[in-house]
Order: sequence, then C-alpha cells, then structure tokens
Amino acid sequence: MNALLLRRARLAGAQTVATQAGSDPSSAAIADVKLWRLREPISRRVYSVIRIRTRGGLLGFGEAGAVSSEELVRGSQIVQGKAVTSFEVLDRQLTVTPNLQPAINMALLDIVGKIANAPVYQVLGGPTRHKARVITMLEGATDAELVASMKSASAAGYRAFIVPLPTAQWRNNGKQFTDAVTNRLKALRAESPNADFVLDAAAKLTAGDAGMIAAALEPFHILWFDEPTPDWNRKVAARVSQETVTPVGFGRTARAGDFQELLREQAIDVLRPGLQQHGISRLRRLAALAEPYYTAIAPFHDGGPIATVAALHMAASVPNFFIQQIPHANNEKDRAMRAQLFKRPEVMVKDGFTSLPSGPGLGIQVDEDALMRYEERPA
Amino acid sequence: MMDRRTFLSACGCAPMAMQVATETDAFKSIGTKVRITRMKVFGVSLTPDSDRPYVFVKIETSAGVEGWGEATLEGKAAAVMACVVDFKEHILGADPMMVEHLWQSMYVHSFYRAGPVIGSAISGIDQALWDIRGKLLGLPVYKLLGGPMDLRGVRGYYHMRGTTLEELRAQRDIAKSEGITCFKGGIPGYFEWIDTSAKIKQAVQSMERLREGLGPDIDIGVDFHAKTSPSVASILVKEAEPLNLLFIEEPCPPENVKAMARISARSTTPIATGERLIASYGCRELIEAGVVDILQPDINHAGGITALWKIGAMAELAGISMAPHACEGPIGGLATLHVDAATPNFLVQEICSGVKPEMKEKVWEEWLGFPAMRMVNGRFPLPEKPGLGFTLDEGKLKKYPFGGTRSMARVFHEDGSVAEW
Repeated sequence: MNALLLRRARLAGAQTVATQAGSDPSSAAIADVKLWRLREPISRRVYSVIRIRTRGGLLGFGEAGAVSSEELVRGSQIVQGKAVTSFEVLDRQLTVTPNLQPAINMALLDIVGKIANAPVYQVLGGPTRHKARVITMLEGATDAELVASMKSASAAGYRAFIVPLPTAQWRNNGKQFTDAVTNRLKALRAESPNADFVLDAAAKLTAGDAGMIAAALEPFHILWFDEPTPDWNRKVAARVSQETVTPVGFGRTARAGDFQELLREQAIDVLRPGLQQHGISRLRRLAALAEPYYTAIAPFHDGGPIATVAALHMAASVPNFFIQQIPHANNEKDRAMRAQLFKRPEVMVKDGFTSLPSGPGLGIQVDEDALMRYEERPA
Repeated sequence: MMDRRTFLSACGCAPMAMQVATETDAFKSIGTKVRITRMKVFGVSLTPDSDRPYVFVKIETSAGVEGWGEATLEGKAAAVMACVVDFKEHILGADPMMVEHLWQSMYVHSFYRAGPVIGSAISGIDQALWDIRGKLLGLPVYKLLGGPMDLRGVRGYYHMRGTTLEELRAQRDIAKSEGITCFKGGIPGYFEWIDTSAKIKQAVQSMERLREGLGPDIDIGVDFHAKTSPSVASILVKEAEPLNLLFIEEPCPPENVKAMARISARSTTPIATGERLIASYGCRELIEAGVVDILQPDINHAGGITALWKIGAMAELAGISMAPHACEGPIGGLATLHVDAATPNFLVQEICSGVKPEMKEKVWEEWLGFPAMRMVNGRFPLPEKPGLGFTLDEGKLKKYPFGGTRSMARVFHEDGSVAEW
C-alpha cells in the first residue's frame, strides 16, 4: 500500500522528537557508568555487568552480552546527567548502542526501585504472580549426557528442561533423524515421567524437517518446539505451525518489530525475546503486544545472574508470562562464580518455580570484588 | 435451597479450588501491607441536563493515601456507576499496588470481556489505583512509566469554535500568540449512505476553509465523527489530500476494520481512530493490519492507564502514533497526560475545549486549584507531585449533584431515519 507508506513518511515529520528530555540537575541524575567483562571458567559464557551510579551515590546494576569500549563511551555520554526515571526516554536514545541499552534499562530500574523503596516488579505494576515458573537448558551431546544433566538440574529444583536437537547428518533428513529426536525425548521422559520438555532446534532445520519432527512430537506434548527454523522468512517459519499443533517458539535473535509479523502470520505460540537483547522495558512491550493474541512471553536467557533476576521482575509485572529460562551450571566452578557475584544467594529454584526477588530495586547486592576477580582482562 | 457453590458443581462449572483462593493469601509474603478500605463513586453534573455527568471514583487505603480516577461514559452515567460498584469484590481488601493483577481480574473475570460500560468502570478504578501507586512510591505516574519524553510538557490541541473565516482567523491569532500548534474541526451536517454533490462540496469547502482560516503553519485534524459511510468518506479523504491535514478522524464507524482500511488505502491523508475501542484487544486488528496512522484511545473507556500504555506499546511496534481522545472531565484528562509523557510514539493530546477557557474549566480550577488541561506554550504542563499530581476535596463536588443519566444527541435524517452525528 503506497498511500500508507507516503502517509507514514509525512507523519514521521510531524512528530516531536524526544531529544532534550531527561536532563536532571538533582541527585537522581546519572553520574557515571562502569563495566566489567566476565567469562565463566568452564562454560566460557561471556557477559558484561554494568553499574550506574547517581550523583547521590545510589548504585544500579544491569547485564549485557558483549559490549565494545566504543559503545560504552558513547552510551555513557548519552546517559550522563539524565534522570534515572527517564528510562523509556533513554531506551530510545540508546538505540545507537544496542548491546548496552538493555543493561542500562535494568540498572536504571534497579535505581528507580531503590528510590521508590519497592521491588522493580512493583514499580512496574506487579506483582501479577507470587512465584515464577522456570526452565533450564540441558548440557551434553549424547542422550546419556543429557539424562545426567537433567538429574543434576532436577536436584537443583528444575522440572522443565530445554533439550538440544541431535546432530543432523544431512540438510534434509528422514526417518533416522526423526527417530533420533523422538528417542532422545523418550529417554528423558522415561527417566523423569513428570518433567516437561522444550525441544530446541536452534534455527538449524529446514521447514520440511521441522514440520516432520513437530508432527512426530505431537503425542509427546512437549511444551513447545523452539526456533525450529530461521525466523527471518515469516512464510517459511509459519509452515511449522500450519502443518502441526506442536506449539512453536521464536525470538532469541528477533528484533522487536519481528514479533508483530510472527504473530500476524500466526507462526508463533511462545515469544522468546532475550533479556540481554531487550532489557526489562522492551520485554514488557512485547508482552503487551502478545497479550491480545492470547500468547505468552517466555524470555530467552543464556547469560549471567543479574539478567536472571531482572527477568523475574519482568515476569512478575506482566500478565502473560509463562516460563523463564535460567542457565544452570552443571559444574562447581561456574556455579561458584555465579554465586559469588551476589552477596546473597542467587535465585533459588524449588519444584519448578522460583520465588520472587525481595528488597528494593532488583533486590540484589552485587559484590564488586567478585566482579574484579572474574573480570576478563586483555592478555 | 442450593447455595452458589453447590449449584456451580451441579452444573459442572465449578471454578477449581486453586482459582478461588483469594489473592491476598497467595501474595501475602510479597505484596505490601496496604489494603483498599473503601471505594466511592460520584456522579457529577455540571448542569442538571448534562449528557455527560462526570463519574469519579475515589479509592481509600489503610495507609491513609487515597486515589482518584474517572469513569465518565457519555450518555450512560448510571450504568457505569453501577458497574464500578459491581467491582467492589475485586477491589475492597486488595493490595492497591497490584494494579496489573487487579486489571486482569476485572477484565478476564468479567467473562463477557469489556464493552464501554465495563471498560469505563475498569478505567476509573485503574486510574485511582495508579494515583495511589504513585503516591505510595513518591513519584508522578509519568516517571513510573519512564518519562517524560519532553520536559516542556505534552503537546495538545483545542477544538475550533465557529466556522466563519473571521472566527477561524481570530482563533489562529490567539493560538499563535500562545504557542498553540494544532486544532481540530469537523464537517457540517449528517450524511446519507451515498451523498449528493452538494453535500460533498460543502464538506470539502468546510475543510478548505479551516486551512484558509488557520494558515499553513498550524496542524489541522478533521473529525468525521463516523458520520460518513466508507463510500462517502473515500471521496472526502481523496479531495482533502491537497490540504495536508494532520489527520482525518473516524471516517467511518468503528466496528469494521476492513471498511476503515478501504478508506485509508484511498488517500495519503493520515487516518486516525480509536476513541470507541476498548483495551489492546479492541485495537489489535487495526494495528495488525496497519490500517490507521494514529490511534486515539480514551483513558476513561479503554481501561485506564494500564490499557492506554499497552495500546501505545503495540502501536509503537507498528509505527503508529498515539493521539488520545479526551472529552470528559479533568481527572481522565490529567491521567492521560501521564501516559502521553511516557509514550515514545506520542503525537498530540486532545482536549474538548476552545482556545478561550469555558465554563467547565472554571469549575475544574475551582475543584483542583489550578487550570487543569489548559496549555502553556502549546503544551499541557506536567504535574510535579506524586501520583496523578492533584488533590481533590470530595466536598467540592456537592455543588454539582448528579442530575441522572441523559442520552447523547439523537439526530435523524430528513426522512426520519436514524443518523450518525
């Protein structure tokens, strides 16, 4: 529709641009931004922790993936002197530093909560629930390794598990591969009959294979089939849910605007945007988008413990949250690192749920000495 | 006699025990200790024969903090007042901070979902809860929502009063001296399903006169008010193209998205609609189909601050702007400013007033102690105080007792059949 595009262009010119908003002379203005780059010893998982300090000395923490030094400098310049409460304004201004923006959003909400003396979920209109359902990714290449990983995660309180796909031999595969997938799920279910599973294809399948596997899995009632195909071609992505009734999730690499198209194409049952990609505020907007489609958000997360806590605040502030992915380290060293970043223990999982964080802001006390200990310095 | 639970079990539709457990028990460990102690609803008629008595909701809490909201529904005042009272089981005894949860409970547990009566009742309660939230957290609502986008305030527009060139020019001169950047006008008369060349020319000329009177540097919206059919509206939006209007509003009634789309596809003039839509559910199809450029939900009908924010969030992802409707009392007007100020895709805020203050605005000032919903330099100033940012002594409302429900205008064509206005 050309007329529509023309109108949009004209309308864009009519809108006021929020450029001068947010400057704040008060103690609630942002003084500086600091960043630590961390790497887990065994999983080699990389994430960044950022700290915002206000002129009044309040601290807020957030988490990002990899952030370049240039991005940190540019982002710091944008936010310095701005009011911590103008987190939506700054979200828009930080679109030029997309890796930093979600972490800044978490850190600002941490501080707003501290100013309001309330948990972030309460600042945002919650709680909508008093505990949050959680899921974790199993580690391993063989069925036996995955079963062992599930035992470890079950002992830690998890009841729902993300299962990676077996390695496919060809670009398109037939019975042998479909059997390998179903056998993997059978082995896991035999070990843990009451557990729930998500099958993660990590966008590696063709729509043809994805449809065949989704159909074979219908009797299993997996929670959903995650990233069965790449999502950048909506018509292709939509084929899986056209051909089968196995619910489908997409979103770890999607941009915010992509979700509207996936919903419009009826290609998606679970929205899976990531914490490190969107921050709390944008996840809330995506939840609002999904709500009138009777669809829930189940944020992707494969990073550190700060974004995990941020995810729980998001979960407790929206009505249509389903389940939160939390990385569970099978090894002692990674577990120790994640625990040491906080002065109080990380989120405790019990019987498939976690309780909500307590205390003002994100409700975490970050140990900066531990951040320095685990900081990855250039060699 | 069968009690309610026995009856529900007998007909196989008993809610599960888990679902009937009260929120207060389940949330005991994580909510606040504050509880809602009282909810009052006020019908307020500025004149005894007003067709839109204001419906105000006041919620009181155990913390001594109170909140105000507006549930005014034009032409259906008594129905919405009764509906507010019907929600007392959801609200009394609840933790007022849990606004999203209470909103969901009011909407979802109403079962039939929300039309304008339920939507307006939820709106009034929701605004009052946000007022309380802001006061308990010590921040104005727009800061809780992450704003303000513009420290100077919220851009607004007044309605044109009068249609002659002299009247238009006089208003333009006041507007220019006061920094006002936008106006809205209408088109005269009522329209048949298909209309005559004379009627079409008259409508187009009235739009041309708006541009001539206001000049090239004031933005103009024109409200068709759903008086026109898609067939007639299509001709009008096409012929209005050279005027470069900011938008044409409600070119047809709101129920049929494809009819709206047909009009929209036939013109480059932006199309606006939404004042009669309830919640994000009511706007979903318009947004999904990319039919309109501007959405105009009303904070007093759509479901309050919670719903207006969500509609704005959906619209942003579709490149659609927000220009909320406001044609009722001052509480909803002030509430909508908070959402506007935190909406990145906000365009302009309506107020159904002229460039010169009118009688109702004197009353608003008498109630609130400041000139509510009057622009300064073309913008509505933002409140500084926590919550919605005003105090209201309910005793001041007594001077304007509820005059009962009055119907909105009822108009008819020459042959006596029902017309839209």
